[in-house]
Amino acid sequence: MKTLPLLLLIAMSLIAQGAMAQSSRYDLPIKEHLFDNGLRLLVIERPDEDRVVGKIFTDMGALNETPGQLGSAHFLEHLMFKGTPTLGSRNWTVEKGLHEQINAVEDALTEALNRSRNDLRERGVFHDYQHATSSPEIDELRTLIETLNIQVLELNDEGPMKQWYQAYGGTRLTATTEQEYMKFDLDLPADRVELFLRVEADRMQNSVFRNFDAERMILVEQRLGDLNRAETDFREAMNSLVGRVSMVYVPEGYNNDFSQYTREYQRELYETYFVPNNTTLIFIGGVTLEEMVPKVDQYFGAMERKPEPARYQGREPLPSAEKRLMWRSAVLSPRIDIRYQIPGVGHPDRPHFEVLEIALAEHLRNVMQDADIDGSLDINTRVVHTTRFGVPASINFEFILADSDQAAVAEKTLLVEMARLSDENIDATAVAFAQKTLRTKWYRTAADPNSLAFEIGHFEVMDSWKTLQPYLGARDATTVDTIRKLIGRYFIAKNRSVGVVTTAEQQP
Amino acid sequence: MKRITCWLLLVSVGQFVGAQDLTHPTDMGLPESNFVRPDPSDYQTVLENGLTAYVARADQVPLVTLSAFIRVGTVDDDKQGAAESLLESLRHSGPANLSPDEFTATLKAMTADYVVEMHDEWTEISLNVPVEDLHLAMTLFAGVVRTPGISSENISKVALAVVPEANDLQGEDGPALYEGSLTATVDRFRDLIYADHPYGSKPSGDDFDELSVADVTEFHATYFVPGNVVLSIAGDLDIDAMHQEVAKQFGSWSRQDVSKPPTIVPAVGSKTRQHSFPAEKLQSWLVFGHHLPLVPDRDQASLEVMNYILAGGHLWTRMTIETRYKYGYTNDASGFLTQKWFGPGTYDFRSYSRPEVIKPIYKNMLDQIFRIRDEEVSVEELFVAVGALTEGTFQIQYLDGYSAARNFALEYLRYRNHERSASYVDRIRAVTEKDVLAAARKYLRPDEMQIVLVGRPENLLN
Repeated sequence: MKTLPLLLLIAMSLIAQGAMAQSSRYDLPIKEHLFDNGLRLLVIERPDEDRVVGKIFTDMGALNETPGQLGSAHFLEHLMFKGTPTLGSRNWTVEKGLHEQINAVEDALTEALNRSRNDLRERGVFHDYQHATSSPEIDELRTLIETLNIQVLELNDEGPMKQWYQAYGGTRLTATTEQEYMKFDLDLPADRVELFLRVEADRMQNSVFRNFDAERMILVEQRLGDLNRAETDFREAMNSLVGRVSMVYVPEGYNNDFSQYTREYQRELYETYFVPNNTTLIFIGGVTLEEMVPKVDQYFGAMERKPEPARYQGREPLPSAEKRLMWRSAVLSPRIDIRYQIPGVGHPDRPHFEVLEIALAEHLRNVMQDADIDGSLDINTRVVHTTRFGVPASINFEFILADSDQAAVAEKTLLVEMARLSDENIDATAVAFAQKTLRTKWYRTAADPNSLAFEIGHFEVMDSWKTLQPYLGARDATTVDTIRKLIGRYFIAKNRSVGVVTTAEQQP
Repeated sequence: MKRITCWLLLVSVGQFVGAQDLTHPTDMGLPESNFVRPDPSDYQTVLENGLTAYVARADQVPLVTLSAFIRVGTVDDDKQGAAESLLESLRHSGPANLSPDEFTATLKAMTADYVVEMHDEWTEISLNVPVEDLHLAMTLFAGVVRTPGISSENISKVALAVVPEANDLQGEDGPALYEGSLTATVDRFRDLIYADHPYGSKPSGDDFDELSVADVTEFHATYFVPGNVVLSIAGDLDIDAMHQEVAKQFGSWSRQDVSKPPTIVPAVGSKTRQHSFPAEKLQSWLVFGHHLPLVPDRDQASLEVMNYILAGGHLWTRMTIETRYKYGYTNDASGFLTQKWFGPGTYDFRSYSRPEVIKPIYKNMLDQIFRIRDEEVSVEELFVAVGALTEGTFQIQYLDGYSAARNFALEYLRYRNHERSASYVDRIRAVTEKDVLAAARKYLRPDEMQIVLVGRPENLLN
């Protein structure tokens, strides 16, 4: 096969793709039922399948945390694996009394810590001033909590939710908390779907926060894992450079936060957000909506609709000037990181940024190569772990340089080219290629019921599950004109945050 | 007491909150499993030249996956470096009638997901593409399998990549980054376990000086033959048309088999010893374990159940309970049974955490190894493990056409029949508490642990 026919084949393949009817590509036969208490049930029926994927999404996450308690949504997810009065307790009557005592001691501890802080008027610097000084009373209260916790441990069985899911064929037993959602996942035999309903309804209403302080250390552990990456500090600094208000730009807890978590705060989060009218159940597999409605009602129907949790109130101020971060590092490779704020899912421009991301990457790599700038370019919309949000985030142009002396010319070359592309169209083939790449990626997502159920739930918390299909279709409608307008509208100096990483030795 | 919240008061009246159904899972009357493993003969087709293919329709999305499984791995490489050079050719050069650039451009135009992996004993080539590119993909796939473009450039590229192993695990590009550190620790464990053993053999730079294109071509010609390759093809396709396409692309391949499997010597265990690799990180990584001899069929089920109860994953297992759930020491403490097809495998245990708790983690994990060798597991533990294995992990191997075709193909490549998957559920269900104890005593060797610690040095043997 020679080069010319091959290229022709490629072009023909892209054209054929473009001509395909868009509606048929993204058909999602989702059936919906809204219960009186506000619980939403979404089902994709696949009658030939033996198993079913189940997910329960709650519309809350790190966005709902307050400073000083960062990571508490994620911590709540961990606590919600600790069981309930009917799952994991060998003597709930006795155990309940111990939890009451622990809560009372924690109250007293909080008061003692506050008194200590106010007495000492500690106002140190950085991370080390809060509650740093102990007292005999504080030590005694902490010891008492530990003692009571040991008594609780003697009365309970560890890991009861996973245990029974495993026993009855459940797999993919995971949970995730990100900025906008918390979800619990399971894949199990379809004729045992009631087990998921029984456990998740119990988890949603009756979670007992057992072994609170030990579980706190798991979050510390996960944070240490993040910090072991040389890039983490820099990325977090870039996030906070881009955003000024939104909790979307903060990580899942700093070391200071972990020690501040209290049962009281966790309980507040739990009771505020884990209500039926803030919850979506999703099933894909060998079940029908008709059979699921009475089953869901059996386990969730007794829950009362509660006051609607407040929507996230953070609003970024309009950007007013370019911001720069100079980062000197002995371990990071030199790089240029250019970020622009972009709108969240729900805004009509957002789907086109996904096309732009792919179309521009190849184009800019060629531009950098032509300018003899050695390095690797990645364009992404990642903030912390997530790439899509229902709130504004950023598109990031990360260019890792082989030679730090090329930082200035690399930045200038990227910016000059993007300025040019705000006036001139990018090659249409690049857009067609990006669209095909996104279609194929979607097919791979949709082929896996677990991934598909996640996308449906994620859109429900970001915007609405009903906008997922139009979102996918909008990407196919992106044109070179759309790309040019996006670049002209968003990639402007006052919406720009620039990070420059140089070696520690390089001084200005 | 103001902090006693409503939920506590409500549940104090009994086990039921309002009308919420809180029946315990064991009392819910969940139905017995009615899962029936698909019949492999519904998927299998055999060409006259002996090539076997498993073809399945999976039409949820317009994609197709083409996979070839070949019974050849690095352990078959008498000419050191031939296997690695062939792997490089398969990955980056594609079929001989295309240049590497054309191959790359074709994959890109199809938005293909292309993966080639060579293990010790078998190799996989997989190509996932949109269905409208199926014809082109099939031609490309057959070309890669039958006539890969092997060149001196491939050999040179692999030779250049062979570098002396670094002992310094620090630095951004070193293997001790968070993502890679457990992997780096496992790699060091395997290097120790398979030192002076064929599974641990790696080519040196000098091997490539003697290696020619003819050597690599011969290596390919010996093993990439119809009797030694099994295909798995699944996706949005017409079964009959795909059978014809398989015959068209592979039917002219001359019939040939591989004469015999490799003979792999057993491994010799050694006394427990710690091996430390200092790294200035916020966490330390721990892998410890020993050789696993070839496990006879009669022991497979009880060994699998035993491992599941002891440490079988990020789940409800003894090791997780005694490290994470109770004490918050680590995010994970798991066991890995790695069985080889022809020689000794490994049985190892892995965890990681802040350095100050590595010692209690090791102690608690080791305690569980001794415990499961000392006393029978409980009825409840056995119930959970049997359910999880037969109705969870086994079922999802046949979840859809993609996974069924793939698992049947691999099973056939290894055993030339499907008896093991046919009897799997019955064999697991027949395991008793006594079988688990016997498996633990036979296959767990606490006196032969090779302990690898990456991170802050700590003497774990005290």
